[in-house]
Amino acid sequence: MLSVELEIVRGSFVLDVALSLPVGPTLLVGPNGSGKSTLLRGILGAVPVRRGKIVLGERTLLDTARGVSLPTEERRVAWVPQEYALFPHLTVLENVTFGTAGTESVRGRTLLEQLGLGSLRARRPGALSGGERQKVALARALAAEPEALLLDEPLAALDVRTREETRQLLAEVLRNLRIPAVIVTHDVGDIQSLGAPVVLLESGRARWEQNGAGMQGTPPDELARTLPVKLT
Amino acid sequence: MSTRASTRLLALVPAAAALLMLTVLAVPLAALVLSTGPADLLAGLRHPLALSALRLSLLTTTCSLALTLGLGTPLAWWMARHSGPAQRVLSTLVQLPIVVPPAVSGLALLLAFGRRGLLGPLLDRAGWSLPFTTAAVVLAELFVSAPFYLQSAVTAFRRLDEDLLWVAGSLGAGPARRFLRIAAPLSRSGLVSGAALSWARALGEFGATLMFAGNLTGRTQTLPLAIYTALETDLRPAKALSLLLVAVALGVLLLLGRGSVLEAVRAER
Repeated sequence: MLSVELEIVRGSFVLDVALSLPVGPTLLVGPNGSGKSTLLRGILGAVPVRRGKIVLGERTLLDTARGVSLPTEERRVAWVPQEYALFPHLTVLENVTFGTAGTESVRGRTLLEQLGLGSLRARRPGALSGGERQKVALARALAAEPEALLLDEPLAALDVRTREETRQLLAEVLRNLRIPAVIVTHDVGDIQSLGAPVVLLESGRARWEQNGAGMQGTPPDELARTLPVKLT
Repeated sequence: MSTRASTRLLALVPAAAALLMLTVLAVPLAALVLSTGPADLLAGLRHPLALSALRLSLLTTTCSLALTLGLGTPLAWWMARHSGPAQRVLSTLVQLPIVVPPAVSGLALLLAFGRRGLLGPLLDRAGWSLPFTTAAVVLAELFVSAPFYLQSAVTAFRRLDEDLLWVAGSLGAGPARRFLRIAAPLSRSGLVSGAALSWARALGEFGATLMFAGNLTGRTQTLPLAIYTALETDLRPAKALSLLLVAVALGVLLLLGRGSVLEAVRAER
């Protein structure tokens, strides 16, 4: 369980949310500028937070009231940004094993094989296709054995065909994941294929949530039509 | 004179100006090369003045480069990561030595580290006297050359994609590992060209050294000071050392050119 209470102020924009994210994937949807990426960066510890509390499992990552704020490297929260941010000067193998004990890491090498990247291990990111980059970024995040995973629009940078392929792979990976994973998307296709809880963010607030425990707020019509779970 | 003839003559003016500019730039260097035969060069380099200056220059510029890298890199990193009034003031301040006349730098160094300078009493108590020592040469070189490295390093660090550092952090890498494995290798060409430029400036440093460190053979007489001294007695070491410095400068320029070519290639991708 990842529980997040955050108030982040950036210029005139205010993000103010309180969410409980279960183990497994949760989709974070909402229009551009609604604060989705900012929320991920807040969980990561990459933006200044005015007030908040983040608890991941048993660990408190942030508690402004008590003056606790773990640095990013101690949060064990892996982040895959929109453009993947692969290390351009490192090989695929070096990228994937960056968060592990070294390039001999069994976990890193197994993930490479599982995602079909074995033959690319010596390449650099500049020589990969979009779909391959996405897989490397995912493998790199998972190899570090994080306790939570943040994916920012994982499929947005891909062309339509690669997107379909990668979406299936992503769904498979996420289904087997035993950690909370937050996936930012505004792709309706992602919502349908994952069948995961959904949080709708609008102007920095969680306007609507739909999860196993039911709903909070009113579902927006345009979203309700596309949801995999029947709304009651 | 007919109008057409005067128009034609007028058209020649820019060409003549360009040629004159080129002459001013090229002739002195050509004269240096042409007037120094192989025999002159050998004799000049074997001159005792040349040898000790060469040794001293290598020693002091190596020290000042090491200090520039060791002290300058953290400062450049800080300046690249911050914005705001403090950062702007600092960035102007550290660039100032590039434009300040060398004689002013020398005087400023004396007023700061001289026996009666700002920090003089402090240094005195520690038993240190800087002026007219080899350490003073290093300090003068550091003062005039470090800004070149700082400027280049700040630019290189600013160009880094910040998300790469956050991703590295999210994978468990602390500040040191993020810097050594991600930031430094990705900024390498900027850091190397900054270091080369800074080293070349230190090697050519003359005015501040003369004022702050003096011109003592074997102690403070670096290559440029040896050239100046040799002018009064034997021209051969002066010419030989000058040629040497020109060759080094050419090497640095070529290195910088290669760096920018590499960067252009990287940007293409």
